[in-house]
This record gives sequence, structure tokens and C-alpha cells, in this order.
Amino acid sequence: MNRPSLLAIAILAAIALPLGLTDFWTFIAIEVLVFALYAVSFNLLLGYGGMLSFGHAAFFGVGGYTVAILVKHGGLPLAVAFPAALAMSAITAAIIGFFSVRRIGIYFAMLTFAFQMLLYTVALKATGLTGGDDGITGLKAAGALSKPIYYYWFALIIVIVALALMHRIVHSPFGMTLQALRGNPRRVEYVGINVRTHQLATFVLAGTIAGLAGAIFAISSGNVFPGWLNWTASATPIVMAVLGGFRTFIGPMVGAAVYVMLEVVISGHTEYWPLIMGVIIVVLVLMMPEGIMGMTRRIRDGKR
Amino acid sequence: MANADALFHVDGLSKQFGGVQALANVTMSVAPGELRAVIGPNGAGKSTFFNTITGLFPPTSGNVFFQGERITGQPPHALARIGIGRTFQITSIFRELTVRENLQVALTGRERRSWSIWPKARTMNMPRVRELLALVGLTDTGTRIAGTLSHGDQKRLELAIALAGQPRLLLLDEPTAGMAAQERLASIHLVGSLARELGLTVIFTEHDMAVVFAVATVITVLHQGAVLAEGIPAAVRAMPAVQQVYLGEAVAPVE
Amino acid sequence: METIGLFFTEHFGWIQNPVVVARQMLAGISNGMLLFLISAGLSLIFGVSRIVNFAHGVLFMLGAYFALTIAGFGPESGLWFVLALIAGAVGLFAFGAAVEMALLRPLYQAAHEFQLLLTFALVFIVGDLVKLIWGREDHAVAVPGLLTGSTEAFGVTFPTYRMFLIVFGVLVAIALWWVLHRTRWGILVRAATMDRHMLGALGTNTKALFTGVFALGAALAGLGGALAAPIVAVGPGLHVQVIIDAFVVVVIGGMASVGGALVASLLVGIVNAFGVLAFPSAAVVLTFALMAFILIVRPWGLFGTPE
Repeated sequence: MNRPSLLAIAILAAIALPLGLTDFWTFIAIEVLVFALYAVSFNLLLGYGGMLSFGHAAFFGVGGYTVAILVKHGGLPLAVAFPAALAMSAITAAIIGFFSVRRIGIYFAMLTFAFQMLLYTVALKATGLTGGDDGITGLKAAGALSKPIYYYWFALIIVIVALALMHRIVHSPFGMTLQALRGNPRRVEYVGINVRTHQLATFVLAGTIAGLAGAIFAISSGNVFPGWLNWTASATPIVMAVLGGFRTFIGPMVGAAVYVMLEVVISGHTEYWPLIMGVIIVVLVLMMPEGIMGMTRRIRDGKR
Repeated sequence: MANADALFHVDGLSKQFGGVQALANVTMSVAPGELRAVIGPNGAGKSTFFNTITGLFPPTSGNVFFQGERITGQPPHALARIGIGRTFQITSIFRELTVRENLQVALTGRERRSWSIWPKARTMNMPRVRELLALVGLTDTGTRIAGTLSHGDQKRLELAIALAGQPRLLLLDEPTAGMAAQERLASIHLVGSLARELGLTVIFTEHDMAVVFAVATVITVLHQGAVLAEGIPAAVRAMPAVQQVYLGEAVAPVE
Repeated sequence: METIGLFFTEHFGWIQNPVVVARQMLAGISNGMLLFLISAGLSLIFGVSRIVNFAHGVLFMLGAYFALTIAGFGPESGLWFVLALIAGAVGLFAFGAAVEMALLRPLYQAAHEFQLLLTFALVFIVGDLVKLIWGREDHAVAVPGLLTGSTEAFGVTFPTYRMFLIVFGVLVAIALWWVLHRTRWGILVRAATMDRHMLGALGTNTKALFTGVFALGAALAGLGGALAAPIVAVGPGLHVQVIIDAFVVVVIGGMASVGGALVASLLVGIVNAFGVLAFPSAAVVLTFALMAFILIVRPWGLFGTPE
């Protein structure tokens, strides 16, 4: 079967999916959508730009908190809150990126981590705005979107559009430049391209999309917590991307789906989900660094 | 400026690393169309000279001019845009991309289209890519992953990347490093003929004297970070000071 | 004008009280000493193996838990404390060596993303194991007998334990300097930090060097944790603020510079101590502001070298 028809079938299946699901599983399906988007946005940095961010949760959190604050305190509709969330996460990414992108590699990892923890502290301490430790709860969309199935379709449309945009970008001249500078930034400089501005733009784009994912999730889960900005939260997109395979566009989506399902199943049995996730990371890193998509590709190409 | 019609001019360039004087007051002028070789024993300052004039790090003092404009300390991407291309001693290509994509990235830089998100990158600029590949003798390698090419072919690819920027001045750092003896001459003759064909000015560093004398029109000899001698090959070869520096090396034999 | 005056009294009124300033200074310096123990290890490991050890905070936390357990055996005598310090240092030395050999060694040839990810995974694993072994609640460890109470200096009374921390920290810093500059092993470590290719050329046993440095870094963190136990809440969240501060320190001081780590640790410790007085809820922002400022004027850190 060719790619367009496969894509069409996948989209139709995604549309039809919640018709056979209970509300609980519809929420899980929304979670898969959200984290697929989140993981692909992260992979713009890691897989395409070669920038390992340990603070991507900052933008997911900023998106979520912006929507939560505007809806809860301002009583604003989603039509205002969502664009505001995009703007806020873009601005945050521009500021953090300005400092972090100066030095790619180890500094970048540390700085993104440190800045995210700064935002975590703000979320904890600015109780008037963020509710501190208790977060902001009881969020709800107005009208038809308050029904899980409609919210699922709403989320699906946003996610498909955002994924299509990112797919377009990674295959554009900009995306090719990004992949070139992943391996050899100095050579890119010497063909007349300003490496830093391209890295910064990618960082802002990835942060904005992560903020969008956080905004969708704030409404579907009904609340936001400071934990969204905690350091553990930044491991989530990394694990998803590596689990699914960060050398492909689709890999992080697969990783997100597997991760979310694993979490649902495992955290039903034990509160030590982080411990299990840690072990999964160790196994991944030591045994299958190419992730699920890398493995399936190798099997398909004949086992070597 | 001493030399108004020079394409490239370096004025009193010095560079210090900590207490070490790596470059000491280097002045040189390169006229359009020249093939200038910068030679010198190991540690003479060739690499520092190259990296300083290509914006990798700023000089401690002194200036660099290109087409009469001061370009001292400008970042590499700015130099590339005004027509300066370079290659590296350790071949610098995009190893994970295909040969074709390597050139497409370079052309994207040339056309300032690295920001555009519209056309599909994979089909961009194909006629020009084929032209460049033919120019350096890499026709039919377009879909190969660049990292899998032989060492010599990677060097050629890097040359093509530099040429994609349509430079007026080409800076080649040890263009034959790591090649077998016969391959070296073929490779430098390719550079020479391309330079004449495309009207390029070339500055290159080289430690193989046979390669230097094969194509260079003017030679500058660096020694301990300073210019020891400069002139046409026959004159430089005859200088006692140069022979002393290269004592034991094969400078003297005349063809 | 009046609002500025009010602002000043509210946030900086303590400046007029020299006793408060002196005490806070001491608290800042002693915290800075603890921070130095962690960030020195972080710097050493980074210098030799180019790994940023995200797990360094949990190593510190393990040291504190070791002290907690040993204190449980006999808090009334001062001997337990000596044992706790030894356990923190030796225990973490062994743990660090084991982690390096079993998990990191296979990854030195891999992309550095994977090394970072592995140390990140260790944070999850150790963080949860700690909860399994010691529970989720915070514990207090008593200050050891001899070091309780306060001591007078310059006409101000200071908590004795804080004074002890400073003296101890200075001794460790001197010992570390001696090891790095006066022993063959230390000279190798510094050589490897400055030029990584040199190692192969020297024909040194690189594997042993990498393991040794990681273990030493872990031991310093463990020692720091044991030292900190009497003045912090020993709980599963202990590692978080520690690793953030340590990161800020190495960014300010310059990666791979132990001297830079010392200066930056003291700086961050002091800024934190006074920041808490001035802006109780926003102190952490001050250290970040400091870091941002350093990054703008000297992106490679105070004592780092631009590459």
C-alpha cells in the first residue's frame, strides 16, 4: 500500500477510535494524542537539531498553566486561552533559548534543565496565581467540548495540523539545514548560514508546540500541577523519543503511545513508576539505542 | 593599505594564545587570480593563520581585508556570504546526509533560503547539484551517504561544497592531507584547473613541496609565526633562508 | 521616594543589623562549602569523561541517608558522626565505581545523549529506591555532641556546626588541591581534562582513570551529604535543590575547573543566604539572575576557558 492511503486509513481510524471507547479510555486516547505531539516537538530538537534538552517540560507547563490561569481566573474561552498559551510558551522559549542555545551540547542540557527548575520554583511559590503545591483544578471546556468525545476530536484536529506543519518543516530547506548542523555546525557556518539563529528558531518552534500540547492536556485532564514542570517531567519526552526511535519522524509518536499505555497499566499496580521508567531507560540506552522504529526497520530490512 | 588592487590583504596580523605568539605581524597581499601557497614547517603558524583569517577566532591585533573591505573578526557565515569559501584540514562534510543533500545544504546557504519551509528540500537545485558533482568528478555518487565515500572523494565533495557558494576567494587548508602521493598531484591539478576555469583566487596551505610547486603562482613561507619569505616559486626555492628552514626536506630538486 | 524607603526597610532592613549580616554570611559560606563538595566532583567527572552527571544530587542524598542510618545506632556519642562521614565517602566511592564500570563504561563510544540519559535514569532509580528503603517522610539528624551549641567569634555567636563545616570544607579543598597537583594520579587527571587525546598518547590506563575519577566525585558528593545531614531535612526530595545549585555553580565557575567550582560555590551560597533574607520567596531567582549575567559577559564561566 502506498503512503497517502496508509495515512488516510490512519486518520480515519483515529477519528473513529473514540466511538468504541468508554470515557476513561477516551481520556487515555487524548493523552496519547497530546504526548505524541509533545514528543515530536521534542524530537525537532533531539532528532533533527541534535540538541538534547533536559527542560522541555518547561513549555508544556507554561502552556498548561497559561490556559488554566486564563480559564480559571479570567473566565476566558478556549479561543482566547489557546492562542495566549502559544504566545506565552513561544516567549518563554525565546528567552530560555537565548541563553541556552549559545552553547550546544552539555551546556545546553544543563541550562535547559536549570531554567525549567526555575519555572518549577515559580509555579510552587507564586501561590496567588498558580495555586502553589495544589495546582489549579476543576478546569472544564464550555459547551460541546465538555464531552470527552468532542474534546477528543477537537484535540485530534489540532494535533494533526501541528504534526503536518512539523512534517513539512523537517522536509523543507530549513529542516535540511537543521539536520546538516546536527552533525557539523561549523561546516554549516561556512556555507553562509547563521547556525545560532536557526537553532534558536527551532527551539522556539519546539517550545511553542510543547506549550500547545500542555494547553490541550490542561483542559482534558481538568487540572495543572507544579509537577508538570518538575525535572521528572522533562524525562518524559526524552524517553518517548528514544523509546520510539528518534531518528524517524514517526518514532516519537509510537514511543508516546507505548509509554502512555505502559504508565496506565503499571501505575495501576505500583506507585514506583519512576523506578520502572528508570530501568526502562537503562535497558533502552544499553540494548536498543535505535528504539522501536529502528528495531522494526532493521527487522524489515533483513536481520543483520 | 599597501596594495589597492589586491583581492585579499592581511595587515600586521598577530595572534597570541596565552603566552605563545602563534602569529607575529603577518602582512600579505593576494592579487585576483593568484594561487597562493602558504608553507612552513610544522608549528610555523599555518593553521592559526588560516583559522584567524576565516573568522574562527579573532586576531590579537591586525586586520584582514577582502575586496577593500575590512572583515576582521567577522563570523564565518558572514565571510561565506561575501564570497569566501573554505575547506578544512580534517575533511568537513555532512557525513550523515547524502552527497546530493550535502550540496543542497550548501546551495541553500548560497541562496539564503535556509529559512524557507516551502519547497521540498530533496528535489531542490538538482541541475546545479549535477553540475557541481561533474565539476569535481563525483557524477553518479549523488544518492550515497557522504560518510561512506572514500577519503579522496570526501575531499572532492568538500571542494564542491565550497564551490557551491560561488566564492571569489577559496581557502584550502591542506587540501591533499591524508592522500596517497599520486592522488595528491591529481587533486591539486583539479584545484588549479577549476580555479582558472571559474576565475577563482586560491590560498592554500600545504606541506608536500611537490604539490606546492605543481600549481602555486606565489609562495609565502611562514616561520615561527612570521613571514620568512615571499615570491614566485623559483625565487623562493633559491632563497638560502628557506633552504635552511627546510633543511633536509626536498626543496632543492629542480624538475 | 517614600515607597522606595518602604521597599528598602521591608527587604533590606536587616543590613543595619551587623549580627544578622555576620550570621547569614557564615551560613552562606558553610552552605557554599557543601556545594563545593558536590560541584567539585561534578567538575572533575566532566573534565575527564565529558559526562554531566545528573545523578550527582542523588549521590549526595545517599550520603545523607547513610548518615541517618548510622545516627540511628547511637546519636549520643560523637563517634557515630565520624563513622557516618566515612560511610558517606567510602560507600559512595564504591557505588560510584560500580555504576561507572557497569553502566557508563559501555557508553563512552556512544553519542553523549545516551550518557546523559543514563545518569538521568539513575536519578529515577535511586530516588525511588530511597523511598523503598527509608520511606517517603523527611527525617532529622541530630548535630553530633561535640559540635552542638554555639561559639563566639568577633563578638558574635555562631552555631558551632556551621563553623565546623567551613573548617572541614577548607581542609577538603586543600586535600583535593594536593591530590590534583602533587600526586601522579592527580596530574594525569588534570592532563586528561586539558587534552583528552593526551591520555591515549601517554598509554595510560584510561579505564581505571575514568572509574577512579567518577568514584572520587561520588565520594565527595557522599561526604557532602553526610556532612549536610544534621542541617537539612533528610528526605526523598533532598537531591533536587542540590543538583540545581550545583549546575548553577559549574556554569558560573566554568566546567571542569575545580578552582572555579570553589569560588562559584561560595558565591552562590552567599547570594542564596542573603537572597532569602531580602526576598524570601524569590531567592532562587537571584542565583539564576547571577548565572544569566555570567553567561552574557563570560559564556564559558569565570574560570573556564573558551574552546
